[in-house]
Amino acid sequence: MDLVEQNLSDPDWQELTMSDEEFRRARSRYKLRALVPVVGFLGPFLFLWSVFLATPMVWSIWLSFNTGGLIDEAKFVGLENWSRMLSNDELVRSLKNTATYVVIAIFVVFSLALLIASLLNSNKRGQNFFKVALYFPLLVPPIMAGMIFFFLTHYDMGIINLVLQAMNQEKLNFLGDNPNALLTIVSLEVWRGLGFWVLFFLAGLQSIPADLIDAAKIDGAGSMRRFRKISIPTLRPLLLFAVIIALIFNFQLFDSVQVLTKGGPVLGTTSVVWFIYKRLFAFQDIGLAYATSVGLLLLVVVLTVVAYGFLGKKSENSN
Amino acid sequence: MAEVIIRKLTKSFGDNTVVKSVSLKVEDGEFLVLLGPSGCGKSTILRLIAGLEDVTSGEILINGEIVNFVSPVKRNAAFVFQNYALYPHMTVRKNVAFPLETARLPKDEINKAIDEAARILELQQLLDRLPSQLSGGQRQRVALARAIVRKPVVFLMDEPLSNLDAQLRQQTRIELMELHQRLGVTTIYVTHDQIEAMTMGKRIAILKDGELQQVDTPSETYDKPANTFVARFMGAPPMNLIQGRIEAGVRQFTFNGDGILVTLNSSQMGLTDEVLSLQLNAAVCLGVRPEHVRISTDLSVEGVSGKVKFLEPTGADLFVTVSIGIQNVVVRCPPKTPMQIGSTVTIAFDMTHTHIFGADGWNLRRSN
Amino acid sequence: MSLKSEHTKELHDLALQNSRIRRTKSVIAYAVLGLFVFASVGPIIYIISPAFRESKSLFSYPPQWLPNSFYLGNFKFLLSETNYIRWGINTFIFATGVTVIALIIDTLAGYAFARMEFPGKKIIFGLVLATLMVPTAALLAPTYLLVRNLDDWTFGLIGLDTYGGLIIPMTVSPLGVFMMRQFIETLPKGLFEAARIDGASEWRIFTRIVLPLMKPAVVVLGIFVFMMQWANFLWPLVITTKDETRVLTVGIATLQGQFVTNWGVIAAATLMTLAPITLVFLFFQRWFVQASMAGALKQ
Repeated sequence: MDLVEQNLSDPDWQELTMSDEEFRRARSRYKLRALVPVVGFLGPFLFLWSVFLATPMVWSIWLSFNTGGLIDEAKFVGLENWSRMLSNDELVRSLKNTATYVVIAIFVVFSLALLIASLLNSNKRGQNFFKVALYFPLLVPPIMAGMIFFFLTHYDMGIINLVLQAMNQEKLNFLGDNPNALLTIVSLEVWRGLGFWVLFFLAGLQSIPADLIDAAKIDGAGSMRRFRKISIPTLRPLLLFAVIIALIFNFQLFDSVQVLTKGGPVLGTTSVVWFIYKRLFAFQDIGLAYATSVGLLLLVVVLTVVAYGFLGKKSENSN
Repeated sequence: MAEVIIRKLTKSFGDNTVVKSVSLKVEDGEFLVLLGPSGCGKSTILRLIAGLEDVTSGEILINGEIVNFVSPVKRNAAFVFQNYALYPHMTVRKNVAFPLETARLPKDEINKAIDEAARILELQQLLDRLPSQLSGGQRQRVALARAIVRKPVVFLMDEPLSNLDAQLRQQTRIELMELHQRLGVTTIYVTHDQIEAMTMGKRIAILKDGELQQVDTPSETYDKPANTFVARFMGAPPMNLIQGRIEAGVRQFTFNGDGILVTLNSSQMGLTDEVLSLQLNAAVCLGVRPEHVRISTDLSVEGVSGKVKFLEPTGADLFVTVSIGIQNVVVRCPPKTPMQIGSTVTIAFDMTHTHIFGADGWNLRRSN
Repeated sequence: MSLKSEHTKELHDLALQNSRIRRTKSVIAYAVLGLFVFASVGPIIYIISPAFRESKSLFSYPPQWLPNSFYLGNFKFLLSETNYIRWGINTFIFATGVTVIALIIDTLAGYAFARMEFPGKKIIFGLVLATLMVPTAALLAPTYLLVRNLDDWTFGLIGLDTYGGLIIPMTVSPLGVFMMRQFIETLPKGLFEAARIDGASEWRIFTRIVLPLMKPAVVVLGIFVFMMQWANFLWPLVITTKDETRVLTVGIATLQGQFVTNWGVIAAATLMTLAPITLVFLFFQRWFVQASMAGALKQ
């Protein structure tokens, strides 16, 4: 078309002066130069990520088919570790303990946290004080939380038993009996984690638009109904995220077992990570440790996917 | 000061080509407006010139030098963003100083440049405020100050007035033109507002779907639109476009559009009979602006008769929609012209301002 | 007239009744909240008592709440007979080291993923995201082995019983990168383009534009990382073998093994460890609370 030929002294001004080849070369040089800062920005993280996350992941898969490797040379043994793992009674017991712990802990913590968060959300006075006070236990590392729990639950010197004794009640064996020991460990996690999830859900509740709640009030919905019909559906995506985080976190149960029960009594509180740790450092059964590590990884991935599918679908349906 | 040339500029995002072989020459000191509806590629062209996007093919020259593969700052083009893009954590002074500090100019030179820019844009009182403490118009001026302080050879402005309210927009428009006159820097200005384009541009480049439609002075684009798109886009209400065919008459060609019969006087229309004969029996459009249609309640006047359908008084004018068969023609009348809906009127076209758009949509006048 | 006043009275009674219900409700609410506050804070406060008592008095019956005299023997023992101070320094170096390095690499990588264009970006980011849910405990065994073997390769910089071995593997957190990327993406694109036009390099954009604007996010991530590492037990436990390279969590856990009956010392150690972090927390509580709430809102 001849649309742009006005007031131009040089008729050839539209003609390209660079050949395709020159253009391509200059362009790739220009783009290459733009990659220099990318290397600088991404390099440090990507390097450490490959060395300390990707490599151990891939390596552990390989080593799960080997034996030895801690002191002596690794030796390929095929599926031996895996078959030993699947038939290991202690691991089965550890898995059962961990699963029980995870389910109870998540259920109790989430129920209490939702209750407290909605109480806080409708009773604004002193909210800040309650937030700070409930957050407090999170400052305590699980190991020291375990120490503190000793002072509460120890059979002879634990304050709870001392009080029970003063009231002429029978003393409770918190740590020396099953399933009491596991429940004590659950209560430690509930104690430590509650504040975090209260704040988490409170943030979610506060993000619910006020006019939505006002509209429900005008429609005459009571507070229970409002909670069920508005708060819960709005919190559902948040709940999905929370469940996944809590799953990943709680499946790594180790610290409180180490400090409170050392897996006892009679394997009543062994956890998967405790099992791995024992194979690695007490029994030098490194092959089994690796197979279990990879198994734990797979398990968490599967659980996450399931949680995602389950809660994700539910929240889709409600929309 | 610099001349900007783009040659066969093409930009694709994946399979989506948003700029299609656009060539354009902007002369030194010119104020050129890139005009088009949203998504026509005008902003992309601006961003390509600035170096914010990577050219797929074609060349961009600033001051005779190909700058395709030159970093934005070395192109020495300043960019004014639609939402101003001021650094929210820096005071006005820091914002304006940022490009100069980046260039590592000495402190006293920076201060001198800031003072001058602040004087030109009347920002002296605002230098220590944060952007959040400024009004929209003030932010706009800070953005301009940050642009001029570098003494760029080209100004690129991407709808800089679209976030201002109507009154402020008009005022700022005048200020921008004054600034351009004062600094004389080549300016490429993107907008979707045809009034802005008409009042500000020395020339207007109109784009549609990534393709250049017409580059001309505002009056030329209005009086001689290159195609039906430009004809409809420029002017409000838009040009009347009547679909029909060219038929051979006794001595002259006639246009026949569903009951609208118009004798085509080729010389009055700036056309030749040869041009018209090429379009014989083709589906064409007759285009005429509302102000170039005469209307009369006197039915003895020669013309096409129709019925008054709507009346739209705008204060300065009265726009009358006349229906002739299935066709509607809008006519501009002086205000308070006595007209009644439903009455029969006669309309006639001013042939010196009537266009025929060929089957491809392009104005037949352009072939001469 | 009388009818009207009767109606008003009725309304008045109803309002009174309503406000009474509301008041009862809030009394119950605050009672429940108070109970949970007691359960949360009580155990921590209780630890003060045994810290200032002789261990043998801990088993005395009836229960003794307040120490009758401020017995400082537990603290003296801790400071003179154990490496407590050394553990404290190690903990500080460990948690601070991880936090500083993680903040640097996470913000840099977050910026690259949010605002830079490069081939393979989607794939690389996808791979990093895929490791988001890898539990660190599952990588305990291979990472331990890796660090042990790295000793020779890094001239003793990263190995067992070294700060490098303790710190570096813990700095890798896809979650941190993800958080930083999400935050940088919320900053208007125009800012970055304006800065590029103004001639700023990526580094200058990062330091002068991005970092000042993301200060809140950096503080939140910093607290998050610091708290995680401050509480970390498993990793320091496996990577340190000598008493003087231990951190507080591990050190105090070994106290439990060594001095099974010396509970007063353990209480003192717990109290002494919690005191500084509590002060920091009370000082910056707004940020701590925000750190947990931000996680929720970001989703």
